[in-house]
Amino acid sequence: MDELSPLDALDALETRLRRAAELADPVPASLTDAALAAFALRTLDAELARLTFDSLVEGAGAVRGDGPRTLTFTTGEVTVEVELADGRLVGQLLPAAGPAEIEVRRTSGAITVRADDLGRFAVEPFGPGPFSLRCRLSPDRTVVTDWFSAR
Amino acid sequence: MLAAADGDAGSWKALVDRFSGLVWSVARGHGLASADAEEVFQTTWLRFAEHIGRLKEPDRAGAWLATTARHECLRLARARTRLDLTGDLDVLPPQVDDRSPERAVVESEETAAELERLRGLWECFQELPARCLRLLRVLLATPPPSYAEIAEALDMPIGSIGPTRARCLGRLRDLLSERGITGVTSVTRVTSVTDVAGIRDATGVTGVVEEAGHG
Repeated sequence: MDELSPLDALDALETRLRRAAELADPVPASLTDAALAAFALRTLDAELARLTFDSLVEGAGAVRGDGPRTLTFTTGEVTVEVELADGRLVGQLLPAAGPAEIEVRRTSGAITVRADDLGRFAVEPFGPGPFSLRCRLSPDRTVVTDWFSAR
Repeated sequence: MLAAADGDAGSWKALVDRFSGLVWSVARGHGLASADAEEVFQTTWLRFAEHIGRLKEPDRAGAWLATTARHECLRLARARTRLDLTGDLDVLPPQVDDRSPERAVVESEETAAELERLRGLWECFQELPARCLRLLRVLLATPPPSYAEIAEALDMPIGSIGPTRARCLGRLRDLLSERGITGVTSVTRVTSVTDVAGIRDATGVTGVVEEAGHG
């Protein structure tokens, strides 16, 4: 009994701390709503392009702290390169798939841009916040990138 | 979770109810301010929605979310450092949002005196060393995460969670007693603890137990 008592006291302290956390630092209600809404944004018939490079994590810029942030997403032979700088997003689809349609998805909604013959596209202004690109390469092939934070 | 992967919105809501506290506490445990914590939270859930049909181990949803949230925290912390280095400080105004601890407090069932004690407890908690804050903030998520999920969230061995938790909670208890803040562990709802304390007082072994508790 004497051995258990201090442990019980720590359990009780943890229980009260959890209640204190619920009161002082709860999940904001708007975020719970955003998490619920995320389900409706999932794509059903697209290939998922995963992150294969992030200058923030592995580039020279990560150490020096200069240059634009660049991200690369890949699925199969398709690559989506993204550069974020000065409130702009500049991207390129490789290999170029002609005038592909790119849906730029944000939590505030989506806009559609068109890539040029070289697969290049740009979005401006482009502020911080999560984004994902849904690229319609052809009528029967769509590639969607993982969601990432624009910083 | 398999139901959610099949498109069942009700199952998705169950996942959000169960794990949004964990994802939020991972962001807060990493010391992120509101705007960054919100971004990590949103990115994590948006990505999860895309991955849910592709996960190989559906029962590891909590661990997946915890790991993703941790990676995003480190990424944002890095972005923040980088912005600071270039002098391009991202100065955000204080967030006025619907976080509303006030509302949570209004809706709570505690008495005013109990709420005041909980507030004092929370203030004391925030004086703990960063290491303790990191672990405890995640551990304190509602509903409580499993040790496996905590291990993923903090990239720490599962075996060191228990001892670190005990050390950090013990430290908080010492801090509380230094401040003369009492009555935080004798919760009336948890009758067994008060009963045990009563027995200890009656048998006069309290001092011995307290000393053991400090070790």
